[in-house]
Amino acid sequence: MSDIDMKQTRAESNEQRTTTTVGETEEELQSEWSAYEFDGQTKISVSDLDVYYGSDQALRGVSMDIPEKSVTALIGPSGCGKSTFLRCLNRMNDRVSSARVEGSVTLDGEEIYQDGVNLVELRKRVGMVFQAPNPFPKSIRDNIAYGPRKHGDIDTGLLARLLGDANPEEEEDLIQRSLRQAALWEEVSDRLDDNALGLSGGQQQRLCIARCLAVDPEIILMDEPASALDPIATSKIEDLIESLAQEYTVVVVTHNMQQAARISDQTAVFLTGGELVEYDDTDTIFEDPNSQRVEDYITGKFG
Amino acid sequence: MSTERQTQLVSTQSSIGSRATVAIIGLGLVVFAVSWLALFQWIGGETDVLGVGLFRLLGVCLLFIGVGTGACGFAARSGRIAATPRRSAGLLTGVLFGLLGFLVGGLSGAQTFGLGTAGWLVSAAGIGTAAATAAVFPREELGSTIPPSVFVTFVGAVITAGIIDAGWTWTPVDLSVTLIGPVVVPLLTIVASLIGVWSAAKAHSGFGARGRQSGAFLLISLSILGMLSVLVLLVGFIVVRGLDTVLTDAGVGIGSITVLNIQIPWVDVQIPFLMNVTQGLFVDVNGILPAIVGTLWLVIGAVVFAVPLGIGAAIFLTEYSESERFTQLVEIATNGLWSTPSIVFGLFGLTFLLPRISNNHRSLLGGQLVLGFMLLPLVVITSYEAIKAVPDEFRDASAALGVTRWQTIRSVVLPAAMPGIITGIILGVGRIAGETAPLLFVFPRSTFPSSVPNVLGSFEFSLAPPFVTNEALLSGGSALPYQLYASITSGHVPGQTFTVEQFGWGTAFVLLIVVLALYGIGITTRLYFQRKLQHE
Repeated sequence: MSDIDMKQTRAESNEQRTTTTVGETEEELQSEWSAYEFDGQTKISVSDLDVYYGSDQALRGVSMDIPEKSVTALIGPSGCGKSTFLRCLNRMNDRVSSARVEGSVTLDGEEIYQDGVNLVELRKRVGMVFQAPNPFPKSIRDNIAYGPRKHGDIDTGLLARLLGDANPEEEEDLIQRSLRQAALWEEVSDRLDDNALGLSGGQQQRLCIARCLAVDPEIILMDEPASALDPIATSKIEDLIESLAQEYTVVVVTHNMQQAARISDQTAVFLTGGELVEYDDTDTIFEDPNSQRVEDYITGKFG
Repeated sequence: MSTERQTQLVSTQSSIGSRATVAIIGLGLVVFAVSWLALFQWIGGETDVLGVGLFRLLGVCLLFIGVGTGACGFAARSGRIAATPRRSAGLLTGVLFGLLGFLVGGLSGAQTFGLGTAGWLVSAAGIGTAAATAAVFPREELGSTIPPSVFVTFVGAVITAGIIDAGWTWTPVDLSVTLIGPVVVPLLTIVASLIGVWSAAKAHSGFGARGRQSGAFLLISLSILGMLSVLVLLVGFIVVRGLDTVLTDAGVGIGSITVLNIQIPWVDVQIPFLMNVTQGLFVDVNGILPAIVGTLWLVIGAVVFAVPLGIGAAIFLTEYSESERFTQLVEIATNGLWSTPSIVFGLFGLTFLLPRISNNHRSLLGGQLVLGFMLLPLVVITSYEAIKAVPDEFRDASAALGVTRWQTIRSVVLPAAMPGIITGIILGVGRIAGETAPLLFVFPRSTFPSSVPNVLGSFEFSLAPPFVTNEALLSGGSALPYQLYASITSGHVPGQTFTVEQFGWGTAFVLLIVVLALYGIGITTRLYFQRKLQHE
């Protein structure tokens, strides 16, 4: 999509909005923006998603479509359900025994909340990076190769070597490629066999991104990936996210509104109670939000 | 205005006071250490030191300490030593000194002055109350120096004056023990020096919060010292007593030797006590090889049985069990199993296992299983804790990569938990290797065995079921703790070389070495896994 096209669509949608805003309640507005249209293919489509933890409802009827090969930011105050939403996209909420998910999430048109979904395949396609860097207490090499080895894509084990099936060159390539993609290769190329816990926080987080990339996902979910890092490491991660968006669909949860404004193409604002209040192009959200509550949140009056 | 309230950051304690308190603490620690040596009779009470007997010298030192701490208290009171005392030395101090006063008052009233029951009660209550009052009511610098000073001075005076000396004895009425001077004097000086040192340490830091900290630190450091000395004492005692036995007729030469049917060339080490069977026709130095080998096989069998089972159970509880209640139930049951008396395990082995596995004969396999049952709960408990301590972030990260639960457990969770799991196994093995009670009913074949269990060589394969048999596993033997128990209780050992005591101490020494060696193996394994986690 060219710049001009982009502006065009935004202008149109703005116009549309101004015509419909007058005299309407927020509920009616909701249907308006959830119909937010973007150019490009829909990668993930969420409709009427409710999530309960025991008797607490964490998400209320969230519907949104996420376009492929772009950065979608989820912002909102603490406890608004944005991380819960993110964890629904690769079914990590299944790991919480009290969580119950209702509604539909489709990936390339295929429902992921149905019986018979292969979680291994799903999570290979939808990778995730967590808030705190969490490399395994293994070498850098083993961290990167962990996913592919466990999936049997790469085998350098003793048996494979005896049978002549080992593919160490392939593993070497994969490690180098993943680390380069995560902008970490230059820093660690000479110490791949050192323990990953010896890296700095920012390097660890990029290692986690590289580890996720090594599985060759289509979507990368990031849960506040820079919140535990210092400003320099944060800016490296931000640059990385922007470059990843050329090949991957990136969904990133962040507390930091400037960060969302800097890196994302579209932004979804969740507010307390687990509702998605507004979802639109990032520029629109930050310059001319539709909802008063979103404007209050963004200008810092609340949240 | 504000300067009046300001406290000084830099302590300006007078150097004389500071040096005096340090001297008192130093003297007290010396008295403390020497008293322990005297208690164990490594130094006799009458040893001539600087022209006086040791006990008398200790008494004089205590006099110095007592008078010194009292002087520190008054010096602090009159402002000659900088101090920031609290309003009182505290209720706990009061209670402790009250009890001490009660004891001193009661004992001296009843024994020294020969008062009747009413008399000594009055004396005890009076002195106890006085001590408690003196500790609680005055300000801290007096409350925590005067009662200690009086007590230490009193003890010092009693010992210096020879009222209690090395020749002193006392057989309390209705009690079948006799207290003797060589034990009582060091005990008194230990207690008195501790109290004196505590008081001086408080004075050194000027009482108040810092003073309490110093006093507590001193007592805590002495307790770690005490712990270490118990360990050294115990091990040292066994080594000193047992080493001679072990080295009887031992020699090193050039040649070759055969141990357990394996020929080792070049070296010819002969340690008969370790290499001979306990009883036999041509055995001149009775050894304990059967018991050593028996213990090793028992431990190996128990570990092989209990470790996989225990780790498996722990993995289920931490990783798979969904029900909190079930986990708790298993935890309680496991703890219960761990606290079951070991003789009960033995009885269970005798009545349940032996009829089923070895035709009612005592057997190595029975011993291994019984010890395995004992080891199991500890392995479960420690593995459970170790696996639970692995951060959930690792599991999340692995799951997010699409890796299955079992693969995650195998390649992330277990390696991270390994050091903890191995610590548990080490502790458990240390315990079961020294167990006698559970083995009594299920394992021993003869008090003084004449052959070594040959487990590896006894496997026999056949084409008909059960395909493999092992006679050695199904017959009994001897283990080190049992060997010790058996030779002491039977009151004699075969042969002329050793007395029962020598043989017993030798066995104890070897048992200690075997357990320490097992510890060593365990700790090395743990270090290996830790290093793998940290460096790789």
